[in-house]
Amino acid sequence: MNHHRIFLVIAVTAFALPQALAQNQLNSGEIVDSLQALETAPGNVTAAVLRQQALNRIKNHQGDDPRNREPLSDQLNRLPQLTVEINFNFDSAIIRPESYRTLGLIADALHHPYLLGYKFLVVGHTDASGKREYNLNLSQKRADAIREALVTTFRIEPRRVEAVGLGEEQLRDSANPNSPENRRVQLITIGKL
Amino acid sequence: MGKCIHSALAFAILVAFVVQSSAQTIGYADALDMLAAACGADVQKYCKNVNLGNNRINNCLEQHQSNISFECKKTRADVFTLLQKRANAQASVRGICDADIRSLCPGVVQEDGYLLECGLKAWRSLGDKCRQAITDAGWH
Repeated sequence: MNHHRIFLVIAVTAFALPQALAQNQLNSGEIVDSLQALETAPGNVTAAVLRQQALNRIKNHQGDDPRNREPLSDQLNRLPQLTVEINFNFDSAIIRPESYRTLGLIADALHHPYLLGYKFLVVGHTDASGKREYNLNLSQKRADAIREALVTTFRIEPRRVEAVGLGEEQLRDSANPNSPENRRVQLITIGKL
Repeated sequence: MGKCIHSALAFAILVAFVVQSSAQTIGYADALDMLAAACGADVQKYCKNVNLGNNRINNCLEQHQSNISFECKKTRADVFTLLQKRANAQASVRGICDADIRSLCPGVVQEDGYLLECGLKAWRSLGDKCRQAITDAGWH
């Protein structure tokens, strides 16, 4: 039930190959590497824009089959990023202690000079079980909880981190919409300060 | 139950860090490991549904000072010192390394991120004080 897999995604090409690393093998150097090298900031990839896109889509496509659902944002896949698993209490935004180390590693990476001048987006995702709007809200609260930890407890400048929940709108494995593969957190480099 | 193991583990981690490298500081991931080892049981007992942000867990342990284990108290104090040293070191690198960076990175965009990146990459040519600051910052 408790998954301790961390997926490291290096999006330098369109065909990113996810590598599964055991939780204790991920180090902050690897996180720095994955988040570096943003070439052009797309400008319209922000928490506010994505949130509105998700709300619009839910409103306009009620009752659609998640298996036929396109990802909400292709742009997200093309940016430097990291995908991790963060465990929360059931139906809650309380981060579980087994995920503290992962957040600590992210914090250490964001304190590294190579990432100093950049802004990041925390994206929370759910699987497709349960209500679509509920999933959107829960994933937003969870992304907010991660951002809060980073910018308070871990002393990252608040203006460097945004947070958005995309619920089930950007399924990683749409063929299996209830798969735990879909329950994940992305950390994406979205621009320069 | 696992109290002796927890405190031995916390102590071992602390010793490993202070001894293994010339860094006298600690990063957040390792700080959390130390705290988990020493304070895990107390967090379960007194701070169970408290979230990680806004220093809530730390504040909760603070409120239960008189109840938490000695190992937890000691580790919290040690970790706080080590984290503070790291934050101070990170803030000081730019200044301590200024002369080194000016001479080694003449053409670089004059922003801290670029200058520090150039400085880190020129590790072999840096002076001792600058190197120590970078090590304490956790950047080498």
